[in-house]
Amino acid sequence: MPSPPLTDRRLVFVLGKGGVGKTTVAAALALGLADRGHRTLLIEVAAETRTAAVFGTAPPVDAPVELRPGLFALSVDAEQAMQEYLSIQLKVRPLVEMMSRSRAFHQVTQAAPGLAELVTLGKIWDLATAVRDGRPVWDRLVVDAPATGHGLALLQAAASMRDLAGSGPISDQADAIERVVRHPEATGVVVVAIPEELAVTEAAEAVALMRERGVPVACAVANAVRTSPFGPGDADVLRTVLGDPAAGPAERAAAGAALATVDGAAHDAREVRALGDGCALPVAMLPAVPDLAPGSGGVEHLSATLMADPALGGTGAS
Amino acid sequence: MAMLRGRRVVVVAGAGGVGKTTVSAALGLGLAAAGARVAVVTIDPARRLATALGIPGLGDEPHRVDPAVVEAAGMRMAGTLDALQLDPRATFDRLIAREAPDDAARDRILRNRVYRHLSGAAGAQEFMAVERLHELVDSGAYDVVVLDTPPARNALDFLDAPERMTRFVEGRGLRLLLGPRAGAGRTGWRALQAGGHMVMSVVERLTGAQLLTDISEFLQSFDGMYQGFSNRAAAVHDLLASDSTRFVVVTGPRPEPASEAVALWRRLADEHYPLGAVVVNRVHPAPGATGTPDGLAGLLRHAGAPDPEGLASRAAAALEAAQARAAADAHEVGALSHALSGPPLAIVPALAEDPVEVAGLAQVTRALGDDARDPGRDAGAAPPPDQARRQTT
Ligand SMILES: Nc1ncnc2c1ncn2[C@@H]1O[C@H](COP(=O)(O)OP(=O)(O)OP(=O)(O)O)[C@@H](O)[C@H]1O
Ligand SMILES: Nc1ncnc2c1ncn2[C@@H]1O[C@H](COP(=O)(O)OP(=O)(O)OP(=O)(O)O)[C@@H](O)[C@H]1O
Ligand SMILES: [Mg+2]
Ligand SMILES: [Mg+2]
Repeated sequence: MPSPPLTDRRLVFVLGKGGVGKTTVAAALALGLADRGHRTLLIEVAAETRTAAVFGTAPPVDAPVELRPGLFALSVDAEQAMQEYLSIQLKVRPLVEMMSRSRAFHQVTQAAPGLAELVTLGKIWDLATAVRDGRPVWDRLVVDAPATGHGLALLQAAASMRDLAGSGPISDQADAIERVVRHPEATGVVVVAIPEELAVTEAAEAVALMRERGVPVACAVANAVRTSPFGPGDADVLRTVLGDPAAGPAERAAAGAALATVDGAAHDAREVRALGDGCALPVAMLPAVPDLAPGSGGVEHLSATLMADPALGGTGAS
Repeated sequence: MAMLRGRRVVVVAGAGGVGKTTVSAALGLGLAAAGARVAVVTIDPARRLATALGIPGLGDEPHRVDPAVVEAAGMRMAGTLDALQLDPRATFDRLIAREAPDDAARDRILRNRVYRHLSGAAGAQEFMAVERLHELVDSGAYDVVVLDTPPARNALDFLDAPERMTRFVEGRGLRLLLGPRAGAGRTGWRALQAGGHMVMSVVERLTGAQLLTDISEFLQSFDGMYQGFSNRAAAVHDLLASDSTRFVVVTGPRPEPASEAVALWRRLADEHYPLGAVVVNRVHPAPGATGTPDGLAGLLRHAGAPDPEGLASRAAAALEAAQARAAADAHEVGALSHALSGPPLAIVPALAEDPVEVAGLAQVTRALGDDARDPGRDAGAAPPPDQARRQTT
């Protein structure tokens, strides 16, 4: 069944190995969606993500802040989400406060398999389904998920809890969440990798797991990919120059640098292919930019590149 | 690295993706080549690296690296190198089996849902890495064990993991909450227990009663094991803090991992862990020449390039980019050296090929060699190896 382009899905999760650029890609994507006129919410899940380093403002935990026109950000924290959930469930303020202060309660929520992930996912679901004046509050939500293992646990939280909790209110709610998360029209996962073996294999394994569990995966992003401005014949003549006794040190160094660029690009191209094959997904490619600080234009450049990539528009196998 | 000779434990730490696993393997290779019986504990190595080290996909037992492969890579192998991959769950299961008073208690824990969750959780990896280290040191089969550490957003995580885990297993608050079921009756804090009752009923509403049963069963099973558990954590801490250990901190020549490396180094020093060296990995070496390649177009024409001018200018741009990268890396190395004020820095160049074969590792080993030097001070003069050592209490 052809799935809609990623840019048409309301809820997007950005997943990948630690440090590969999830926060950067989520920021670029959210910015691109907002630029297209969608009222967009960027959600960071793991605390201390680098959203602030990209936009100059740290997403607050209580209410969304507008980073750019139409682009809002919020930080979802498991503790806070738990408190909100409690206040909905208990409705008695002192009781909620007592619970949140209780060390034992925190220990239970830490020990309970998947509970922190469930309330986090529940909060995201809440935001994704929020309606005001008959219209959805958010046109698009981009979730900057935690690194692979924790990210998968987050996506899987509703299904796990439904299996564990049997019947009752929490199970019904888990069901409702699960329906949204698995809906390929509404939700899409973007898996990010850098062109390195570990990141690529981790991405491929995560995609296989998600497919098995019916989570709709939309596309892969290869981040910080080196490209080369040299054509196929260039390397041969450059190598000839490198071996030419007439070449001076500067000429040799230039030929060497050019050949290193060719090798680097070839290395990355191999890994990008491995990513596409391993995930059986279209791959969007992003270059490494010199600077990502606010005002440097780095995230804007990545955003424009990403939004123009055909991999985002395609109908990824899901 | 001279300061690692004769040590029994080398711990390799640093930010995610900087090259901890690579450096662990390369250090192990160097120590083994120099004559030691070495075990390297790797954590989630790249598949090709695992294959090169002879680690099969499953199990966490040590495997001998074929000395012929090492010699083919141009290194004489005077000792032995064993490599293994950490399997946190297997290590945790062994720890439980060792500490459990009887088979029934062991099985109860191993089956418990909370235990399954805990032993697979992120913190368990850190905890079990040091536990596995302890096992290997205790076995007496090795002169030195090199320990890779798990990728963490925060490189300091792994130092705190054992204590966090012990505290959790101790579960004071939980025992109170769960009441006599978990043995809290003995503490007798009745007032808190009344509050706990309410907490419990809320949690039960959230998660179902089964979960609470699992948690209290889990804690109950740990009764009587807690002591052995925390003794073990203390023994691990003592080993890591002793003079037979050295910490090696790995970073890349970029501001973010470098500031993590500085924080980790300071923290280690503050807590009297024995410091070894800082490795700056994947540093782009400066291209050999500084002049402009004015004669390149002519040479390219001579070599038969169809568009020698265009190609020459693209190659000149590549050279400029390489020079800029090398300058940025050198700047970062200088800043790091300044921030650390003193410890030896070992510089490992960025290699064209991923060092996932023994030959590539050998290149890293050579770079780590005995020339741990401090470029911030006097390039070329290696500081005395014990310069960075702090008194351990
Ligand atoms: N395309 C890019 N060009 C240049 N630098 C990049 C690019 N993508 C990411 N980076 C840099 O790489 C580092 C890691 O990126 P980022 O924080 O987005 O990764 P992450 O996957 O969110 O990490 P974590 O798992 O720690 O949350 C940052 O320093 C970031 O600035
Ligand atoms: N000096 C080097 N030159 C080129 N590539 C390198 C170098 N050192 C490491 N690499 C490559 O960089 C990648 C990351 O290295 P490695 O896996 O050792 O990092 P790590 O710190 O263990 O990562 P993690 O935090 O994910 O465990 C690997 O693909 C490795 O082959
Ligand atoms: Mg991030
Ligand atoms: Mg590693």
